[in-house]
Amino acid sequence: MLIKMTISLADLKSGFKKTGYICDDSTALTVYLALELQKPILIEGAPGVGKTEMGKVLADILDSELIRLQCYEGLDETKALYEWNYQRQLLRIQMNRALEKDQICEDDLFSDHYLLERPLLKAIRSSKRAVLLIDEVDKCDPEFEAFLFEVLSDFQVSIPELGTIPAKEIPVVVLTSNNERELSDGLKRRCLYLYLDFPEVEKEVQIIKARISGVADRLAWETARVVAHLRKQADLRKKPSIAETLDWARALVSLNCSCLDGKMVASTLNLLLKTRSDQQLFNRDIGIQGVDRVLGQAANGGDTCECSKM
Amino acid sequence: MQQNVKIKEQYLEKNLAVFAGLLRQEGLPVGTTEMIDALRALTVIDISSRDTFKAALQATLVKNKKDQPLFSRLFDHYFVPLDEHRKRNEEVLLQEEQLSRQLEQAAADLKFKGELLQLSNEELKQYSNLPPEKRNSIQDFVQQTENGNRVEPQFKPILENVVKSHLRYCRSQEKIENSAAGTASGAGTGNISGESDLLREVDIETIAASELPAAEELLKKLSRKMAVQILRRRRSGPRSGKLDLRRSLRDNMQYGGLIFNLKYKPKHRSREQILLLCDVSASMKNYSTFVIHFLYNLHEVVRDLSCFSFSDTLEDLTDVLKGRNSLQFLLDRVIRHSKTWGGGTDLGAALRSLEEVHTDRLNSKTTVIIVSDTKTMALDDALKALVKIKEKIKRVIWLNPLAADRWPDYRSVGLIAEQVEMWPCSNIGQLEEALSGRL
Repeated sequence: MLIKMTISLADLKSGFKKTGYICDDSTALTVYLALELQKPILIEGAPGVGKTEMGKVLADILDSELIRLQCYEGLDETKALYEWNYQRQLLRIQMNRALEKDQICEDDLFSDHYLLERPLLKAIRSSKRAVLLIDEVDKCDPEFEAFLFEVLSDFQVSIPELGTIPAKEIPVVVLTSNNERELSDGLKRRCLYLYLDFPEVEKEVQIIKARISGVADRLAWETARVVAHLRKQADLRKKPSIAETLDWARALVSLNCSCLDGKMVASTLNLLLKTRSDQQLFNRDIGIQGVDRVLGQAANGGDTCECSKM
Repeated sequence: MQQNVKIKEQYLEKNLAVFAGLLRQEGLPVGTTEMIDALRALTVIDISSRDTFKAALQATLVKNKKDQPLFSRLFDHYFVPLDEHRKRNEEVLLQEEQLSRQLEQAAADLKFKGELLQLSNEELKQYSNLPPEKRNSIQDFVQQTENGNRVEPQFKPILENVVKSHLRYCRSQEKIENSAAGTASGAGTGNISGESDLLREVDIETIAASELPAAEELLKKLSRKMAVQILRRRRSGPRSGKLDLRRSLRDNMQYGGLIFNLKYKPKHRSREQILLLCDVSASMKNYSTFVIHFLYNLHEVVRDLSCFSFSDTLEDLTDVLKGRNSLQFLLDRVIRHSKTWGGGTDLGAALRSLEEVHTDRLNSKTTVIIVSDTKTMALDDALKALVKIKEKIKRVIWLNPLAADRWPDYRSVGLIAEQVEMWPCSNIGQLEEALSGRL
């Protein structure tokens, strides 16, 4: 009999808050439903909006082990589920022959001792509920995606030599996707769906404050405002992610900045925009004056920032 | 009391089932699993909160970001407060009455020798919504025909066809005007990403010049996505080939012949060629340009791409269009500098010329993509040339910008569709669907 570990919606929300994961109510509700209904949750969104972080944070909140399966092209069940330790089996046969022992039984060779446990099997066999993070599922091949169906719908895996292994504790499964390709309907049907977008300015300020200690209120607001403005640029090849915002804010704090201006943004731009074409686009279309305009700082007077003059 | 609770539960389930039907009707893939999940979700949330209720349904019923706005709209329309619901019902009844009066009036207007013209309710409705001057002009035409010399009662079907085609013309004009108005009102919103997603379903012909940057962004986005698909399919996994026994034996000599490490043969990959043939008659200009732009965005993965425009002759655009040109540039190039621009379409002649001059490009690895509305001179000749060329190459994909519901009206569409796989491509969404997984 599987025991369902429950957590209330309010506890989940406060857990998110404690761990510094700022999200809106509908996100918390979707995660709560996934936990309650014991269904995997598929999170889509642009890179760097906090999809993978959700898995880590959930493991933290539920005090569970985080088991991560990073997907890539060519990933197969030997890397995701299990593999027999072929070399060890061969050595055992050779040793037996050399020591002239009794013939070994086939069952001995296909026992736990020779089984290399991979993330999916580990999550299924875990005696305590684990959080299984299947990261960037859109990067794996469609064949592997189909293979995941059994794990995601029945929480069991089949190993020909051992039979079907049901989950001891149904893991919390978090799948993430950058939407590089359309996932199959079968996979989507088995999951609850959550789309994470880039946060609004207010929310990003909360994230910055929650994650970076010692950040000035004004700096947090200005950082978020500049990043939001950059994300609006349609021609940008790579929009700055939340992780990059945080790195940038950290760098500004270590430079003893308490506020921003166009010069400071231009001189630390490579922390936010990481391709040459994006930096050129910034210089051409926005520039120092553009940033100052966004920050509402008139060039002739007003409450201007002195940090860049230091 | 028990009975009451039961009725309430059924009420919610029934309502949800109707709502799911509505979502399905609009093309959202809502299955039984989603319905069960939604109902289970409702048992663990506070359904008295509208936002929570909506978020729970969205998480369980909608599995795609692009479907979320549609879901939101349908939800807001379907789940309304009781007062609003009553008000809407009254409005619907009123509208129905009004419509029925309009239809009666329209039918009375359009009579030929005392008999009603055989027009569908849709056509009558369209007629009654026309501006008065257009309605009067149709009425005048019907009356003049009726009062003409030697007018027989057998003229009625002819008159009906004329009225129907006039209404069709008005409809297409209205569509173009609406699109232009939409563009004007949408200008300056600044949300290019949102705009470009909306363009997915808009007829390419009606996309205005001011919307081209947004369309270009959408084309880029879709082609990036498709490039990833193509690359992924081509790259072989570590064990995708067959076991290489020779290498396995040689590599494991160090273990005394025991095969510890298995070696696999790399997967064979053939180099595919794509040959794009674009009809550049006046009605086809926009469609052809969009397809050219879309495929040229794929230049990193589809390197062997040749492009030709055709009308009654063939023009090689491959070299001219290499390089990352904007959609506007391509449109200008196709119109102003193409030698084939403005000629009558003769597919047969174009295919024969392709076969004679570019015979080296036609082999078993070639996929030919033809963008045309099938309206060609000498159809039989074109069919023969198509069959002949089909034998030499891997496949022919025909992208037809005519809306699929109009295909039965054209004999040429039916005959060509028997020979090749034909896909509608009147908007960017259809273009993506037609080429996805086929390159």
